Amino acid sequence: MNLTNFNTKEEFFVDMQRCIGCKACEMACAECETNGQQTLISVNYVDRSSTIQTTVQVCMHCEDPVCANVCPADAISQDEFGVVHTASTERCIGCSNCVMACPFGVPKKVEEYDLMMKCTMCYDRTSVGKKPMCATVCPSGALFYGTREQIEEMRPNSTPINNFIFGQEKVKTKVNIMMPKGSTELRIY
Amino acid sequence: MAKLPVSPEKIIEVFGPHKNYAPQDGYEGKDEPDEIVKTHCCFCGMQCGIQLLIKENKVVGFEPWMEFPFNEGRLCPKGVQRYLQNNHPDRLLHPIQRVEGKGFEKMSWDDAMDKTISEIKRIQEKYGKNAFSMLSGVSLSNEKSYLVGKFARVALQTKNLDYNGRLCMVSAGAGNKKAFGLDRASNNYSDLEYAEVIIVTGANISETFPTLTHWIWKARDRGAKLIVIDPRMIPMARTADIHLDIRPGTDSALYGAMLKYLVDHDMLDHDFIDNYTSGFQETIDAVKDYTLEWAEEITGIDKNKIKEAAELWGKAKTSFLLHARGIEQHSKGVDNVVGCINLVLATGRIGKPYCGYGTITGQGNGQGGREHGHKCDQLPGNRDIENPEHRKYIAGVWGIDEKDMPGKGLSAYEIIDAIHRGEIKGLLSICFNPLVSLPNNNYVREALEKLEFYVCIDFFLNETARHADIVLAGSLQEEEEGTTTSAEGRVIRVRQAVTPPGEARTDTSILLEIAKRLGKEDKFSYDNSEAIFNELRVASKGGTADYFGISYKKIEDNMGVFWPCPTESHQGTPRLWEDKKFKTPDGKAHFNPAPYRLPSEVTDKEYPVTLTTGRVVSQYLSGTQTRRIGKLVDQFPEPFIEIHPDLATKYGIKQRELVKVSTRRGQGVFPANIVETIRRDTVFVPYHWPGLKSANQLTIATLDPVSKMPEFKVCACQLEPLGTIAPPSKESEAFASV
Amino acid sequence: MKDKTFNGKALFVATLVSILTIVLVFYGSRELQNFDAALVTYLFGTVFAFFGIVYRYTVWLQRPPTWMYFKRSIKFLFTGKIFAHLWFLGKESVQNILLQKFIYPRSKWRWFAHFCIALGCLSAFAITIPLTFGWIHFTLAPNSISIYEAHFFGFKMMDFQINSFLAFLIFHALNWSSWLVIIGSVYYLRRRLTNPGLIATQTFEGDLLPLILLIAISVTGLCLTYSYQFMKGFAYDFLAVIHAVTVIMFLIWIPFGKFFHIIQRPAQIGAHIYKQEGIKKGMAVCPHTGEEFATKLHIEDLKIVTSQLGFDFTLEDGSSHLDLSPEGKRSRLAQAHLKARSQGGNLFG
Repeated sequence: MNLTNFNTKEEFFVDMQRCIGCKACEMACAECETNGQQTLISVNYVDRSSTIQTTVQVCMHCEDPVCANVCPADAISQDEFGVVHTASTERCIGCSNCVMACPFGVPKKVEEYDLMMKCTMCYDRTSVGKKPMCATVCPSGALFYGTREQIEEMRPNSTPINNFIFGQEKVKTKVNIMMPKGSTELRIY
Repeated sequence: MAKLPVSPEKIIEVFGPHKNYAPQDGYEGKDEPDEIVKTHCCFCGMQCGIQLLIKENKVVGFEPWMEFPFNEGRLCPKGVQRYLQNNHPDRLLHPIQRVEGKGFEKMSWDDAMDKTISEIKRIQEKYGKNAFSMLSGVSLSNEKSYLVGKFARVALQTKNLDYNGRLCMVSAGAGNKKAFGLDRASNNYSDLEYAEVIIVTGANISETFPTLTHWIWKARDRGAKLIVIDPRMIPMARTADIHLDIRPGTDSALYGAMLKYLVDHDMLDHDFIDNYTSGFQETIDAVKDYTLEWAEEITGIDKNKIKEAAELWGKAKTSFLLHARGIEQHSKGVDNVVGCINLVLATGRIGKPYCGYGTITGQGNGQGGREHGHKCDQLPGNRDIENPEHRKYIAGVWGIDEKDMPGKGLSAYEIIDAIHRGEIKGLLSICFNPLVSLPNNNYVREALEKLEFYVCIDFFLNETARHADIVLAGSLQEEEEGTTTSAEGRVIRVRQAVTPPGEARTDTSILLEIAKRLGKEDKFSYDNSEAIFNELRVASKGGTADYFGISYKKIEDNMGVFWPCPTESHQGTPRLWEDKKFKTPDGKAHFNPAPYRLPSEVTDKEYPVTLTTGRVVSQYLSGTQTRRIGKLVDQFPEPFIEIHPDLATKYGIKQRELVKVSTRRGQGVFPANIVETIRRDTVFVPYHWPGLKSANQLTIATLDPVSKMPEFKVCACQLEPLGTIAPPSKESEAFASV
Repeated sequence: MKDKTFNGKALFVATLVSILTIVLVFYGSRELQNFDAALVTYLFGTVFAFFGIVYRYTVWLQRPPTWMYFKRSIKFLFTGKIFAHLWFLGKESVQNILLQKFIYPRSKWRWFAHFCIALGCLSAFAITIPLTFGWIHFTLAPNSISIYEAHFFGFKMMDFQINSFLAFLIFHALNWSSWLVIIGSVYYLRRRLTNPGLIATQTFEGDLLPLILLIAISVTGLCLTYSYQFMKGFAYDFLAVIHAVTVIMFLIWIPFGKFFHIIQRPAQIGAHIYKQEGIKKGMAVCPHTGEEFATKLHIEDLKIVTSQLGFDFTLEDGSSHLDLSPEGKRSRLAQAHLKARSQGGNLFG
């Protein structure tokens, strides 16, 4: 990728328990220049009938991204900063393999375009040293983009982790999730 | 003549609401804007800083404003999408007039003004000055709010001016005046940061003031305990330390019981109570029987949870109490507010770092707009229109004889009543959509239809404006220079990012033109908004809301100044009462007895379920603006009735089944949303939608005796499942319901 | 992602196809009788491109997800109502390959520009490849000085008057292709130089160079015509060399760069067939949301594919994380997070 002002000191930290479901991130995401008014972040009720809990999911930018592996068209690439990019428009055949295989439920198939689109960590912004749109506007801190020192100072009771266990599979990601102090991984049952 | 000229469907076809979406790659020019304007969001009292991107006199996008101290770039969905209201197909571009059978037709400014003036004169000559009334709103800047107050009294010479803050903050204002002698949140929000306990009562912060969430979460990160009081498990309540799921209309019983608990367990700040307050004994006498058991019975909250909350509150060293419409929009809204203040005063936690209290002002300029003569009983600087000294001072500023200044007029809903009775025949409205926002709105519609002449200033043809004879195309917030005052009491600068499109004019220039044509040009000549502000400063001088020391430059240099700011060298007052000199006549903070009484309508056999109303995060108030922004509409396409599974089972209601909700005033049909996050005896309907989708067809117009606030938050209803499952929300077209 | 660098199977197939091509050139040009020696560099370029394309294609097909789709769609195509399937294939080919209709909703200008490039390139391939191979050639009709005959594989296909409009169109066909390519490429070049989203994510060699190359080929090609028609062959040889160089660069780059998508695109039809047939076999229901979200076939195949790729999403209860819809997965993650937070003693932290 061309622009190299990517601030490698800043990282993404997510804490879905802080999410208030307002969808400011969804609205802001669509303003990202790489998206063409498409929202690539997801906010959804976890189980509305029993709780008001919402969750927010950005692309976790896996170290070995399942989406790219299962893509039959080699349309998903990863750059030197570990950012997993959206499907290249010329290659993607709209098969949805990535959509169904991503353990975090991130990629979105835009049916009318016959194209998958996913979060690129606001590459138009992060590649020039700015913060992603979603994390900039998030009013609840469910999404935070900044340095590790900042997050440690702000959230003394939490630890960022980036290891996720899905049954037999261990997935390591670039994006962190805030967990109770001392945690090392999040197991998804 | 204020009936619709043609069917609402035909009006909607031309004037909307239509949903506006940005083009696929955004508006042209947002990548290379001509200008980036640092201003504020037009929605809600948080007044978040935002940068608008301008290209060729159009708002084409936004960029977060990271430096503004309150929100540091953070926004809610409405803020993110607010840029879509300027570049909107529904925008009124010239004056229009009602033509029977045809709808609305374009007219020239000259004709519009001539007709308006001749009708005002005709009505006032025939029925008296006060038969022409004015309704206004506090999305207007301080300058415009001040101007409206002066305009009504000096140019229209009517006493009947009131504003939509009457449905918003008046109970809080009245309660604060009773207790402190001044109406402002006592603290700015940075005082939340190290508060040990935070009570949020009747305030769905994460949906109505989302950016305030940050400050509460920040406090929790520092160890604060959060107590949320709400009939529903709102997003903020889910992770709260204590959620008190209160029965609507019983708030003062809870506060009373908590106060009694503090007294019984001596969790009081005696030094503060003895030296700086009055009325303590009468107040605690009023709650002497309010045991936890009694409170549980009344409020429906587990007494142990009440006890736990009272313990937390009583033992804390620092604290912050926040409330909003949930406790204020009641026929006893003022009682609820003073009930809260009593808890604050009893512990003496005010006027100190991280010891705070405040109402969260709802509207964009709900704070500033309620201080400078917008209300029927008020003059600038939060002065009293019936106080001879106050009248004299303002008459001097305005250059009129004090005798010519009208007295106290009718409040907003009383104006509607007076129209009904035929006492008021003419209306000028600006920035107010009562057909959606007032309770029992079928009654409001009947009133509007009785008007002989109705002229409206607005940027979109909202539901109420459809009844107008003439609509004057006014301006959006981003089309005029000015200031607003945020919920924290921070006076900030809003910018003219673009000029009004087409032949539309700024609201100010329209009011000045009408004043001129009414022969008052000498009293209404200003070079610009700053000139109006400078007059406001003088008018507010010596009042409780003293802006005298605030200048545009000072605001710009400091990213806002907190009033009171009485002199030019004064730095403003982010935290009130540090000197413990309260603005009441005796200089003390007042406890006020707030004995519990029933809401104006209680459930019975016929109407067995409690109905409460509120908001959703993607809509703002009556939706004039937000029901025209595509993505905000899509986020919540229609109102729904939230109902507990147990209650739903009792009535045999299925998920998304249409339910007819009836009250003694009207009925509405809404799809059911069956959720465990609401009390078993209560249903909830959000109110932003018009016509048949309006929750305010159902609500009750009983007014608080002091504040004249209608009782939106509680009434009795009956439910009837209709046996059909609602079509998908997206097909509902509720945003443009007739 | 996990490709090996050397692939024997692919080498074999590619070599075979290359040899076959040369054989066809030999016989198609009637034992080189109709072969134009001046085009020999192009011939080598084309054969090499064929080799590369087939090699890359074969490597690509061997990747588990690709092979799964390839295998399934071929099988579906030739089972059951074969005629209906072929009709579907034909329809999809026209819509997606010829007309690229899926681009239209993304932007009608982007579609138009892409259609211009595609039409220009495909028509140019259709003309130049057979010409280079000596499969097409033109001769004067016997006993005539004004009628041309066109031959394919040595067989006469048609004839036309030398001064006719048709003749004008046929002899300048490559010019028309060039103009189409230029129009489309200039549009895309402008877009790539001004759209901030693209500027941030594109690379010079991956995204800009292909457009520049297309424009270079087309412009030099047009210059050749201009040179011999209006400038008495001025700089013709030089232009011819430049043109040849750009074309050959283009050809041998097809397998490695952006242009490979031309070869890959038919896979989209495979994905459509796969989905259509999958729906017939039944939908998967998300255990979390209770809603249908994908075809059962797709989810079951993905379990195979992911395991071939070395991923194992089998959960403790024997079900798979892949049984969940995207929304279900997000919710389960959030629930797991909530559980971890509650166990930590505080939902908030």
